[in-house]
Amino acid sequence: MAKLRAQPTEGDQPDRWEAQLRKGALEMAALASVWQGRLYGLEIIRFLESHSRLVLGEGTIYPILNRLKAEGLLTSEWVEAEAGHPRKYYSLTETGRVRLRLMAEAWTSFSSGLSRLLEPVLQYPEDRELSAATMKLEEKEIPQ
Amino acid sequence: MTSEMQIDSYLTALRTHLGPLTIAEREEIVREINAHVRDSAEEAGASVESVLARLGPAEELAAQYRDGQLISQASRSLSPLVLLRATLRLATKGVFGFVAFFLGLFGYTMGAGLVLTALLKPIFPANTGFWVNDYRGFGFISAGSTFPSPPPHAHDILGIWYTPLALTLGSLSLLFTTMAIRKSLRTSRRWQSRM
Repeated sequence: MAKLRAQPTEGDQPDRWEAQLRKGALEMAALASVWQGRLYGLEIIRFLESHSRLVLGEGTIYPILNRLKAEGLLTSEWVEAEAGHPRKYYSLTETGRVRLRLMAEAWTSFSSGLSRLLEPVLQYPEDRELSAATMKLEEKEIPQ
Repeated sequence: MTSEMQIDSYLTALRTHLGPLTIAEREEIVREINAHVRDSAEEAGASVESVLARLGPAEELAAQYRDGQLISQASRSLSPLVLLRATLRLATKGVFGFVAFFLGLFGYTMGAGLVLTALLKPIFPANTGFWVNDYRGFGFISAGSTFPSPPPHAHDILGIWYTPLALTLGSLSLLFTTMAIRKSLRTSRRWQSRM
């Protein structure tokens, strides 16, 4: 088990972790997108893409908006448009504004702390790091 | 297939898989997805096919709605059935839900059992109680209702106090189980959406 985790060749692990991380931030991102005013679903998707490089499966955002509404953080209204069909606009409720504010504060202090922690990791030359990791792994694999 | 037909068949599939939701909720979702597909398909370089592909299969989209809905409704519900159903849904997703489901089942069974026997005590006083059974030097304790009557060497130590005590403990157990399940559903929702 420990050996498995130490293997640097396990290619899909960081990708999956990153996907989880992005999805985890999605609730907060969806709330943040309507901070300045009401938007409809597609606008929220495009807003997130352009402002945060959060590219998401378009099917992901709608159930999240639905749940945030059920939790009372968002409210919605149907507005007629010249497109020929009405659009469902979302805006923050008072509870939503307060919650988003708390989330933003927690997120910012958490991520700035982590950035400081990760600074040396990013500065370390990558090839040296990798060869050191491989050597350690080889040592571990020698049978006792 | 024309694009109109493609949209229609996608929305029909979505509606079908959204089954357990109320009609109003279902229609609102279908209406919103319909608007999304039409707006999205009008963007430069997009087609109905590509938009529907980006949305993912109707079945999966509906499942995301259903899970969110079930758990968020249940976390505000007081009904043991609704709550247990939601934990059962969680149980298919991991150990956390599995444990929640069985603890919930245990709590409800114990609570309901105690309340039921508390109500049976005045009707069948000889058959209901909390006994210490001193049988061949071994001490057993048992509580509840038993038919036929308990063995003669069993000694009911609570008497008429059984009813208020079992009623209190049973109600507390039901209350505690309800609160614990609601709390765990709310906690789970934080990570549930991320799967």
